[in-house]
Order: sequence, then structure tokens, then C-alpha cells
Amino acid sequence: MKTNMNRFPVRLSVAAVNSALLAMAMVSGVHAQDATVAELTQPSSTVEIGATYVNPTNSENRNNVVPNSNASNTSYKFGEYNGLQKQGTTAILNFDLRGGGAYDSGDATRYRITGTDLGLETRNLSADFGKQGSYRINLGYDELLRNRSDSYQTPYLGEGGNFFTLPSNWLKPVVPQTAGTATTNTSTGMNFRALDPVAGTANALVAGVVVAPTATTLGTTLPTIRAADLAAFRNVNLYTKRSATNAGVSFEIDNQWNVKASIKRENKTGYKPLSVVTSQATEFGATLADPISQTTDQYNVSLNYRGEKSFFSAEYYGSVFVNDIKSVTWNDVSDMSKTATVAGAPSNQFHQFNLTGGHNYSSATKLVVNASYARNTQDDAFVTAGQNAQFPLGLPVQSLGGLVVTTAFNAKLTSKVNQDLGLTANYKYENRDNQTPVQTYFFQDANEAKSGVNAFLAGQGSNLNMYANRAYSKKLSQLNLDADYKVNRDNAVKVGYDAQQIDRSCNGSWINCADAPTTKENTLRAQWRARINDDLSAKLGYARSQRTVNYDENAFLALVPYASVVPTLGAGVGATQSAYAFMTANGLTGFGPLAGWPTTALTGNAAIYTPNNNIVPQALYGSRNNINELIGLRRFNMADRNRDKVRTSLNWQANEAFSLQASYDYDNDNYQNSVYGLQSAKGRTLNLEGAYDVSEDFSTSVFYTNEDKTSNNAGDAYGANAPLTATNVFVGNAGNTNISPSVCYATIAGKVRDAKVDPCLQWSNQMHDKVDTLGWTFKKKGLMAGKLEMTAAVIWTRARTDIDVTGGSYVANPQAALASVAQPGGIANYYIAASAFPTVTTDTSEVRVTGRYAMDKKSAVRMSYGYSQTKAVDWTYDGYQFGTGTNYLPTNEQSPNYVVQTLGIAYIFAF
Amino acid sequence: MKLLQKILGVCVLLGAATFGVAAHAADAAPAAVDRTLKGDAVCTRCHDEGSDKAILSVYKTRHGNKADERTPGCQSCHGSSATHLKDKALPTDVVFGKGKTASPVAVQNKTCISCHQAGKRTHWEGSQHQGQDMACTSCHSNHNNGGDKVLSKATQPEVCFACHKAERAQTHRISTHPIAAGKMGCSDCHNPHGSTGPKLLVKNSINETCYTCHAEKRGPFLWEHGPVTDDCSNCHTPHGSTNTPLLKTRAPFLCQECHSGDHGKNIYSGGNLPSGNITGVNGLQGVANQGAPAQLNGRACMNCHSLVHGSNHPAGAKFQR
Repeated sequence: MKTNMNRFPVRLSVAAVNSALLAMAMVSGVHAQDATVAELTQPSSTVEIGATYVNPTNSENRNNVVPNSNASNTSYKFGEYNGLQKQGTTAILNFDLRGGGAYDSGDATRYRITGTDLGLETRNLSADFGKQGSYRINLGYDELLRNRSDSYQTPYLGEGGNFFTLPSNWLKPVVPQTAGTATTNTSTGMNFRALDPVAGTANALVAGVVVAPTATTLGTTLPTIRAADLAAFRNVNLYTKRSATNAGVSFEIDNQWNVKASIKRENKTGYKPLSVVTSQATEFGATLADPISQTTDQYNVSLNYRGEKSFFSAEYYGSVFVNDIKSVTWNDVSDMSKTATVAGAPSNQFHQFNLTGGHNYSSATKLVVNASYARNTQDDAFVTAGQNAQFPLGLPVQSLGGLVVTTAFNAKLTSKVNQDLGLTANYKYENRDNQTPVQTYFFQDANEAKSGVNAFLAGQGSNLNMYANRAYSKKLSQLNLDADYKVNRDNAVKVGYDAQQIDRSCNGSWINCADAPTTKENTLRAQWRARINDDLSAKLGYARSQRTVNYDENAFLALVPYASVVPTLGAGVGATQSAYAFMTANGLTGFGPLAGWPTTALTGNAAIYTPNNNIVPQALYGSRNNINELIGLRRFNMADRNRDKVRTSLNWQANEAFSLQASYDYDNDNYQNSVYGLQSAKGRTLNLEGAYDVSEDFSTSVFYTNEDKTSNNAGDAYGANAPLTATNVFVGNAGNTNISPSVCYATIAGKVRDAKVDPCLQWSNQMHDKVDTLGWTFKKKGLMAGKLEMTAAVIWTRARTDIDVTGGSYVANPQAALASVAQPGGIANYYIAASAFPTVTTDTSEVRVTGRYAMDKKSAVRMSYGYSQTKAVDWTYDGYQFGTGTNYLPTNEQSPNYVVQTLGIAYIFAF
Repeated sequence: MKLLQKILGVCVLLGAATFGVAAHAADAAPAAVDRTLKGDAVCTRCHDEGSDKAILSVYKTRHGNKADERTPGCQSCHGSSATHLKDKALPTDVVFGKGKTASPVAVQNKTCISCHQAGKRTHWEGSQHQGQDMACTSCHSNHNNGGDKVLSKATQPEVCFACHKAERAQTHRISTHPIAAGKMGCSDCHNPHGSTGPKLLVKNSINETCYTCHAEKRGPFLWEHGPVTDDCSNCHTPHGSTNTPLLKTRAPFLCQECHSGDHGKNIYSGGNLPSGNITGVNGLQGVANQGAPAQLNGRACMNCHSLVHGSNHPAGAKFQR
């Protein structure tokens, strides 16, 4: 059967790219029968010069609160990887220069110099020179552009550096009518809705009363805020650009030994979105244009031996990453006198030594062994300048001293026992041993003052974080066995067995840190391959895996070493056990009992650690936040799992001209013991492809792929058991006691008392991704007296993502308020069922038509037309718009929506 | 210990098989062939520039460079083919490709492996592609006037997509690596000839492979995020996704597959969107009051917890610093 190579060209959006390889083929690839010996045996060089006109239009500016300063005739998304985002003409310059000794000259010297996309920011230059069989030198330069967004807007100044400030005239956005009365709006709370002329001027409900913005609010306060702040917003293009230079050399010492060395330096620049929150207390977020200035150097050196039966290789690989941006600091949007700092990715190094050896015992039996040793280090100084207030007890060390030692071993024995039977045994061992020192770090969250009384340390607040770092280690052992048996000339079966064990741990941790210290997975595989007849072949495969784990629901405590200390202060007064001792003695986790309000009052340690059967108060293990997890939650990568995989394919070569391929894959993961977390994940993929070679000069093909994936997740938004008081419910008048509808509880009292076990707070969601891809290609040679070759390609993609949710949440009846009147039905709370998300849709269409007209044997003209359309509707982007969020800064980012046409013409000359 | 016993048992079994095979697998020394142009002339006097296929184009390639003593002649690969020389209707000793006259895959591959067994082909035997009866010529072509497509990033994926059709479709999704753009080839991450890594990856593990381009994620960090150091593919799907950036599922739902503490336990539904019924409480509460939760909207969890790959800030335990 013919393979379907040459059936589908590279992406159509690469309008100006025509690889030197393809260009050469286009010029010199006349019918083989018409070629001269020289044309077939002498490497030819080509130069391609031309231009491409790009005409993009985008419809991405949905919100004109602050118009996008990038013109509508740009499309960052279209130009994501090809740099063709702007309207206009771009030069095409590609060349492929080859030379050296002819094949029959006795001169083994060869060289090749190529240039691709030289007019674009995706340019590539390479040079390869050598004496074949003796040495080889290569040099290269490559640029890779990745556009992220040209609709991102920010009021922050300072991109290019690492300190972001707000303009001096920036005013804190407030919506005054969200407090006070219709006569006197009094709210001074941070609220980004103020920036939107519609959302910011809407009425508000305050204690059940509709409060309209006053004339002052409408006429002065809000317009002043908008005038000052909106003027600060401007577009900053987010992109990443990589520029890499590489050099390599290989030298053949003799027929058996060679040595190779290469180096690659990549510089990465640009801006990426970095979303940050200034204060844990207020949690106002902003998205900054985080500068990128990074360098990665990679080194490879190897000594290689090839013998008659044995071969050997000793290799060194080094990677040195340097980040020039150690930190980013920015003004708080609500209080410019405050700043906060985020650390950049730390510079690090990775050095690895590999030894590989193999021996052919015979033509049928071979053993290959590989061993490697690697050290990964990181010791950047901690970034704490100007942040002393966050560290009331100082730092235990000034840098991490991070060290991860990774050792790996792999041995594979293969043997063709006889003509029909082949066996393979492979053993793999890998140990990521994280030897990074473990310390306890004491810190206040940024811009959050000390409050309360710390349960362990005198003079500190209960909101002090007391965390130990966790140095995750992972050890993998894996055995794979395969037997492949040829039943007869037309049938073969293969069976296999895999056994894998992963051990996870943390050096220096006071308790086990891994949710599943050991996971074991066994897999049985079987495949049948058949040649049904001379034209029809098929494959059917199935694999079943079972993974079992010993899950430790208290592993999260490795983060908080004070869980092993008996508290003596604050909320811990009276405790006689540590939190950890109490939990383990009572078979509990930080979640506490799965129970509602206790029928009899708890005393002693129970009253301290699980008050009213609630979760362990975070301050009693040294955390500002609730870090425990639901009982029954299993992190999916360390959960019991049954996995089934089915793989089928059918290939039919109907005749010399026509072939069909079909395949169907099915995957099913079931996390059978996970009460919460990922429950299951299923996927199926259908592929259909037909190719028709009408003649040697005319071919066409069609393909279709349908991919359908679903995953199910479950959770519980449990509350805290509490007695009914005026401050924990929105009750208002004494008659407002009911819940509508009364799905789980009829009254507020019941719901509040047993909030922890309220079944109405259990939820699940289902993600469903469906993607259809349809493609068609066409190729016709020999037009216009054999001089014209036409190719066309169309590809269409339709993606749909649906997210359905079951469950619900309680919302206070906004009409009920303290001391207001009884509501109809006495409704204090509504129970609102969850609703599905709007479907996320992405539709793309690409058309490319290319014509190559051979002017003579040495030159040709290529013309191309491209049409590309993408329309994405994604609710994620709603949250970036002005007027939608109260506590995170809008960025006006838009989902991709463009139509781009390209027209190219180039002259290709071969010599 | 049990695992070690299993290994030893297998080795004994294979050793016995090997010994048995070795006894009769004394490979006959291949007949000497003339690799020079004179030797090639035996073939090229018929398979010349007028052939249907561009046979002579091999001389443009490194295989055809006669000044390098290592390079083969026609008969080095296709066999001395005495029967074919007598009767052109009969096939050569080794026929590459597919079809009724093609030689068995093992025979085809043995020819190539005889020279190319080390280097990137070290782990070929027992590899996924070898186990699926793939021949070297399933992907490579020596007599191709346009050159071997797999040797260029721009054209390599076409070859792989002949079989890996699902990945072809994925490279046209809204979030992708620059594969379809011709800036990355499949071989930037995979070694199709076999490797020690999973899924034929070039390095020993998924993470090591990803770190060759994404070294900023390598750390080690002061505060590590467990699933990141464990396996990048816990969250990411590298060939293409509908969820930027190359995520299997979007936030916050992805995060909620592992996190149920604090606001990670909350239900997030369409009602929590800016236009949702909870945000507006079915019209009962003004928009100015009710904010669409930051945990769902915009960048969801990453509105605050943006350093999900790890943080090196002493106060970065929650991946906000």
C-alpha cells in the first residue's frame, strides 16, 4: 500500500515560507524520465526571491472602553509563529546553496548553506561543511517568534524593567453607591467596575435597598476616576521571541571512533502575562506585562565507538539557564504606597553524563544498556529586598542551595528466537533524588499586618505562615516484556506485560510528603496484525492497566511542621497533643470528622482541633490558609486507576490509484476509588483518509478526524457548622427563616448547623471536548503544455468545549436584611442550581492555492494565494473585559477572530 | 527483590534462547560487492536517468558520495541480485518499500542497520516502531529527487502524520507548538528510532525532554508544585489543545482535580460568569454588588497563583510570589 506521504502540505498560514528543499524539488523535479544525469546526480542550488502581501482583518475589539491602539488590519494570532501579523508586503528570501565535490570526483567535501524566511522574524540560517567520512562542521542561527496577544492593555508603566508603577494621577477605582444610601453614596472599597461607564453607574443593592448613584457620583466621582485611569490604559504587545545560535563539529577518528561536540545558545525576550495579587487580605489582582530576558546554553559532547558487534557512547549534556529578571515589583492598584514582589524563575544548571553500550550476540540477539547521572543545581539569592516586614523572624538561609541528583539505568535485551518469534525484555530505573535542604520559612502574606495570637510563637500573629519546603523525590522501576509471534504469513500477534512501581518521597521532611508514597501499575497488552489479503491489512490492539496506591491523606502536613508541635498560645491553649498526634490518634485528617454540629459539646483536644466538628483551624498548624483536602480526594496522578485502551486500524489499497485508511482509538480511565477529584476520563478518535492518484500528474486526498474527550470531576463546597446567629446568615426579620427551594434543608437553621455535611454543596462537572478536522488536497501537474503545476489544500477545524455542572450554591435573598420586613415565604436564602457554561467554539478555515510555472529548466515563478479564518468564542475572555470583575484589573484581551488573505509571488532560480 | 527475580528469570530465558539461536546464527559473511561506480554500472546501465523513479538522485545524497569509503554501492543495499540480472522480471535480492515484491521488513531493515545501528538507532530493536513492522523506508527515502523529507523540520511532520493522524489534527488547534508552522519537527521531542524515554522521547523522561526548551521550569524551586516535578503531561498535552496553554483541561477545573481546600472546593458554574444568574442572582442583586469570582474568570486560579510551575520566593509557598 502506498503510504500517504506528500498528501498534505505544511500549514497554510505560512504564506511566505517555501523550504529550500521544496523549492529545489519544484524547480528541478521535472518528470524523472526527462531529467538529465546531471540534474539527477548533481546537488543544485536554488535562490528564491519574491514578496508576499498580507491583508489581515480582525474583529477582536469587542469592548471599546479603551480602544485597541493596534490597527484592525493586524492579526497577532494569525502571525503567532510566522510573524505575518501586519498588513503589508514582506520580502521572500530563501536560498539553498549546495556544493563541493561531485559524487564521482574523489573529493568528499560537501557544503550546504540555507536561508529561510530571511525577511521575517522567523528567519533561519544554517551552514554545513565537511569532508564526508572525516569531519563535519555546522553553524546555525534561528529565530522563533510566538505572539500571545496584541489586545492586552495595562495602566502600569515600566515594561522593559522590573518595577511596575501606576501613573501618578491614578485614582483608586470605587463604586460609591455600593454602600450608603441613594442620598449619600459612601463606599470607598476597591471596585474595578468603576472603570466601565455602564457597570460602574448601575444601581446597587445595599442591605436590601436599591441604591442609585447620586448626582455627585454620576457627575463627578466616577467620571473623574474614569478620566484619570482609563487614560492610563494602553496596549502592550505580549510575545516571546527566541534567538538561537548553534555550532557543532564531528570528527571521524577512524572507521570505528568518532567524537562530536555542539553548543547552542538561545536568548529569549519579550513579555508574558503575569497575574499577581498584592495583598492576601484584599486580594486585588492585576496582570502585568512580565519582561522576559533569559539565556539557555546547551552543550553536547560525545565519544562514540562502532564495532562489528559492539558499540559504545560516552556523552555529556549540559544546560545552563540564566534569568536576568530576578523579580518583578509593582504598585498595589488600590494603594500606590504599597508594593509587592514576585520572584522570577531561578537560574539553574543541569549536567548529565550518559554511557550507552550495546552488543550484538548474533544477528538475532542484542543487548543495549544505558546509564546516566545528572546533577541539577539552583542557588539564586532569595529576592527579599524591601520586604523585611514579610519576614518577622528573618530567613533561615539566603538561598536555596538546591540540588537534584538523577540517576537512570536502562537495559534492553531483544532476541529473534526463530523466524516467527521475537522477544523483548526491558528494565528501566530512574531516581530523581532531591537533595535540596529543607527549612522552615516564617512569613506574613504581603501587605498583611500581623493579627491575632500565634499558637506557637510568642509575639507573632495567628496569620503567620510557618511552612517547610518539600523537596520532592521520585523513584521509578519498570519492567517491560514483549513477545511477537508470526502465526503465519498473514497474521502476527503480540503480547506484552508491563510492571511499574513509583516511589515518591521528600528528603528532610518531618513526615511523608507524598500523597501516594508508592504506586504500582500492571499492564497487559495484546495486538493482532493481519494481512487479510494483498490489498487489505488490519490491526487490533487492547491494553488493560491497573494502578494501585497506598494513599496518605495526611501527607499535606509535610508543608506545616508545626502540626507536630503542641501549641501553648492563642487558640491552642489547653491542647495536650499536637494537631498531627490528635488527628492520627483519632483516624482523622485536617478535614476533621465527616459530621455536622455535635449533639454534645466537644471538649479537650477535640474542641480545640475540630471545633464543632469543623476542620482543623489553620492557625493550629501554622498556616494562614486552609490547606487540607476533602476526605476521599485523590490526586489523579497518584490515584487508583483502571485504564483501558483500544487501537484499531484498517488499510485498503483498492487498486493502484485508490487507497483508504481508517482507524479508531478508544481510551478509558476510571479512578474507581476517588470519591472526589478526577473520576474518569474517556476519549475516542476516529480517523478516515482516502487518497486517489488519478494519474502520475493528478492526485487528490481527503481526510477527516473526529476527537471526542470527556472527563468528570467531583467536589464538595462544604461550609462550617455553626449556630444560627444574626451575623452568619442574611436573616433580617425574624420571619425570614426559609430556604427556597428546600432541596436539602427547609430552614436556615438546619443548613447552618450542618453546613459541613450539606449534601446540596456536593458538586460535579463534566468537560466535553469535540473536535472535527476535515482536509482536502489536490495536485495537478502538466498544465499549460507541461509547464504549470497547481496544488491546493483546504483544512477546516471545528472545536466545541462544553462544561456541564451539577450541584448548586446558596445565595442570600438580597431583599432580606437586618431589621427589614419579612419576605414573601420568609425566604432568607435561595438555592440556585448550577448551570452549564456557554459552549466554547473555535472554527478555523484555511485555503492555500499554489501555482508553479517553469519558465525553463533552471527557473520558475511561484504564485500563491492563502485564505485563513479563525473565530473563537470563549467565555474565559469575558472576565478580561471592563466592567466584569470587581477585584481583578481588566486587560481587554480578546479571543482570536480574524480573516487573513495572503498573495505571494516569487522567482526561483536554480544553478 | 521480586522484581529482581523476574528480571533474572527473563534473562535466563532469553539467554537460553540466545544460546540456541547463536548456535546456528553464525551469520554468513556477505558476499563482497563493488561499491564503486563501476560496480553500480551493473544496475545503472538499466536504471538510468530515464527510469520512472529518480534512481540516480541517490548520488546527490551522502549515500552516493563515492569519495567516502563507507558509502554503499547499489548492490550493497539491494544485494548482488544475480537472478534479477539474468531476468529483469524477477526482483532484486532486497526490495525496499511496500508491495507484493517487497522484501520482508526485517530484511530491508537489516540492510540499513548494518551501517546505521548505533547513534540515534541504538534502541531500535524492541522499539515501538520496530514492533509495528515499520521499515526504514516507511519514513526515509534515498532515491528522492526532492530530498529525504524527514530531514527537514518543514516537511518532517507530513511523514509522521501518515500514521499519526490524531496528532495531525491536534496541530491545527487553537493552542499548539509551532509544528505546523515548520519551526519544530517531531524529532525535536521524539526519536522515532527508539529511546530510553517514554513515548520515544529523546530524553530519559518527559520532564527532561520539555526542559530542553523550557529550562525556566526546571528549578529546583524552593516551593515545588508536585504534579510539575512529577510529569509535565499531568496537565499539558503537547501536540495541540483547545485549552491555552496546551492544557488538558482549563482552569479552575484542572486545578480542582487535585485541590479541594479553601476556595478550591467551591462550585463554579455558568452562573458565576459575569452574566451568570448567580452573579446577578437572577436579577435580584445589582451587578455593581456581585462580582464574578476571580477564581473562575479571567485567568481563574492563575489570577493570583500564577507561579504554578514553582516559586523561589521565601513567601511563595502558595505560588503567588
